[in-house]
Amino acid sequence: MSDTTKAIFTGDRCLSCTSCMANCPVMAAIKDYRGPKLVGPAHGRMHFSQEDIEATLEYCSNCKSCDRACPSGVAVSTLNMLKRAEYYKTHPHTKAEDMLAHGEDMGKLIRKLPFGALCANLGMDFGKALGIFNKLGLAGERNMPAYASTPFKDLYPRIKQTATGKKVVLFTGCYINQNEPQVGEAFVKVMNANGYEVLIDEQFNCCGSPLVVTGYFDEARQHADNNVARILDWKRQGIPVVTPCTSCSLMLKEEYHELFDEHDMHEAATNVYDAFEFLEILQERGQFNDNLTPTAQKYLYHVPCHLKCQAIGLPAANILEDYLGAKVQTADAGCCGISGNYGFRKDKYDISMKIGAKLFERVKQKDFDKVISDCGTCRMQIHHGSGIKPVHPIEILAQAY
Amino acid sequence: MKPFDVIVVGSGLAGLMAAATALDCGQRVALLTYGSGSLPLASGAIDILGAQAPDVAIKSLPAHHPYKKIGLKALDAATKFFCEVTAQADLSYVGRLSAQIPIVTAVGTLKYSCLVPESMDASNLINKKKVYVVELKGLKDFYAAMLVDNLKKHFPDKIFNVAKLDLDFLGGRDITCMDAAQLITGNEQTLADGLKTLNATDEDAIIIPPILGLEGNTSRTEVKSQLRAQIIETTCLPPSPPGIRLQRAFIKYLQKSGVRIFESSKVVRGVVEGKKATGVVVENAVREKVFPARKIILATGGFYSGGITMREFDNPIEPVFDIPVFFPQGEDKWSNPQLFSDKPQGFAMTGIFTDENLRPIDEHGKALFDNVHVVGANLGGSDFIFERSAGGVAIASAYKSATV
Repeated sequence: MSDTTKAIFTGDRCLSCTSCMANCPVMAAIKDYRGPKLVGPAHGRMHFSQEDIEATLEYCSNCKSCDRACPSGVAVSTLNMLKRAEYYKTHPHTKAEDMLAHGEDMGKLIRKLPFGALCANLGMDFGKALGIFNKLGLAGERNMPAYASTPFKDLYPRIKQTATGKKVVLFTGCYINQNEPQVGEAFVKVMNANGYEVLIDEQFNCCGSPLVVTGYFDEARQHADNNVARILDWKRQGIPVVTPCTSCSLMLKEEYHELFDEHDMHEAATNVYDAFEFLEILQERGQFNDNLTPTAQKYLYHVPCHLKCQAIGLPAANILEDYLGAKVQTADAGCCGISGNYGFRKDKYDISMKIGAKLFERVKQKDFDKVISDCGTCRMQIHHGSGIKPVHPIEILAQAY
Repeated sequence: MKPFDVIVVGSGLAGLMAAATALDCGQRVALLTYGSGSLPLASGAIDILGAQAPDVAIKSLPAHHPYKKIGLKALDAATKFFCEVTAQADLSYVGRLSAQIPIVTAVGTLKYSCLVPESMDASNLINKKKVYVVELKGLKDFYAAMLVDNLKKHFPDKIFNVAKLDLDFLGGRDITCMDAAQLITGNEQTLADGLKTLNATDEDAIIIPPILGLEGNTSRTEVKSQLRAQIIETTCLPPSPPGIRLQRAFIKYLQKSGVRIFESSKVVRGVVEGKKATGVVVENAVREKVFPARKIILATGGFYSGGITMREFDNPIEPVFDIPVFFPQGEDKWSNPQLFSDKPQGFAMTGIFTDENLRPIDEHGKALFDNVHVVGANLGGSDFIFERSAGGVAIASAYKSATV
């Protein structure tokens, strides 16, 4: 990979063809946003050389539909994030941005308090009921993600695993650790069934995705440097780092290098795998444990935007169909609209729900047994918009072992 | 990953058509895309050949022309299937291989094409008394007065009227036709009410920019049913609603039957055993992934879209299967410096030569692979843009490659 993959250089490949505009879900939802072409590569040429603020930059949700639409490999959304970083060098963050960017710190704080998770969940319920969310700039219509009674890192030591010599490190990401530890448990069960012992590394930070999208660039860089050093350490030991969270995997595999352009970030990335990508590689090597209880269930699969970017096919759909006998129908309804912490902002809530409307309609048809999606915030958004709670595909697979 | 029956690489018109045809033949199909394909930038009209009767003119094309390999029978079947696919998305097309239909461009010239969206068909303009051209406040790149000035040259005996409607587009960004089409979807009544104020009769036509929605004919039907005059949509600058409607019609057709579409998937090479390809390799940010298949259709878009590259002059490369590429030798034959003259561009002939089943051939005319097919703008031997055959070659080569 050459240095020209750094996002800032890709802007000059833009031909202004407007493919990104034709595929931008935010442009389709509102007319305030000037769109990826103008805000990204076009204005980008000016922004990095002189002080100039594009007022509608805040509308980009970093869903990366523009990147996927671009025929010339322009990292449109990352150009937007780099400019957002520039903007916040001279502008203060709001309270809501601070909270949404620092979920990891908040989680750590709450876990230090007795009954912290319970109190925090109650607090969020009251906060929502009393309209405090709205005052803080958060979407009052929405529940904040509830904390699990025990985070995954505290559940992990209780899981009995047999040492087999083959190991992977689980990068849980914040959401699985704090909110849905059952996804982490399912991952361990699946990997154990495939002869892998699962390790965790408590020195990992949040991948940094929420920091990047809210313009906390220096902090994101610190997270990247720490995580990259840890991943390289595991790489030297021959142990892959695997994550079931598609936004984390995109950040670790691709966005660090795009944003910060350090060679070791790319080297670290070669040791990172999406959970089902890893399983499909095992399958291709004839090492996948196919001793599974078959199911006749039908799943509606919302493929997260950040999985579509990774060019790894649809490994979860393949494995559930080929080895479980399940029927997997992709939802084909575009972005869910939440895009990380975007839809949690009070001023972006309506846009987020408008973008997700097509997916909610699709889900409400209920012509399936379960909705599956690899992304935690996509699952939250689908639940919020349709009342139907999706699961991670790894949970389905774990049940079959 | 279990092997697909057919993998189509590329999601322009040729790629979508190949995938739809293969699907219709009962195959399990995957579509690999890198970029969203060119249809949102296109007019939506399908040019077959720039001749009064393309079906006759095709017969006298030189032997190396892609149409000569494809044959009229496949072209005819392809146009019928194309119309079936679009009709399923409530997007009707009109036309035939033996005639040209006029459509009005955004600047008021006439463009002739064989297969055009019903909403753009301007054949009846000649029989109309009055022509209303409607400009929308806040919509960029559409100037009714300029359109009228130019269109008058074709229809000097007609009464032209320029009308301006305010559909509340102001506030926010500059509105493109795509934006207008999105804003009108679900709010068709506002447009219908505006157009009703023209009091146009069934002897008149109303020309509007292409803003009647982005999916099928839903918005058009809604507006049309309330008016007596014929409404005609023009072409526009990209992003182009008629092109987007066509793209969505095909994607809907594919997704309805569970065709897997893999985005951002840049194919870097084929996996080949002897004369047989067993799959393609996709390169992502960190590693490669093999997508296995029994048949591969290469719709990577030729010179304009990276399907054929040329880093050194006189050395064009097809990067996936390293297929030999034809090109006119010698710099003097390479280009015609008069860009808008009535002569073709030499370089535009660059492309791949195939047998009658669209399989690439070597210099002796022998197929290089049993199961690799090359379609659309990758094909060599004709200047598609100059002779206005890109759409026809795309759908016909795609159709034939998927049915053989």
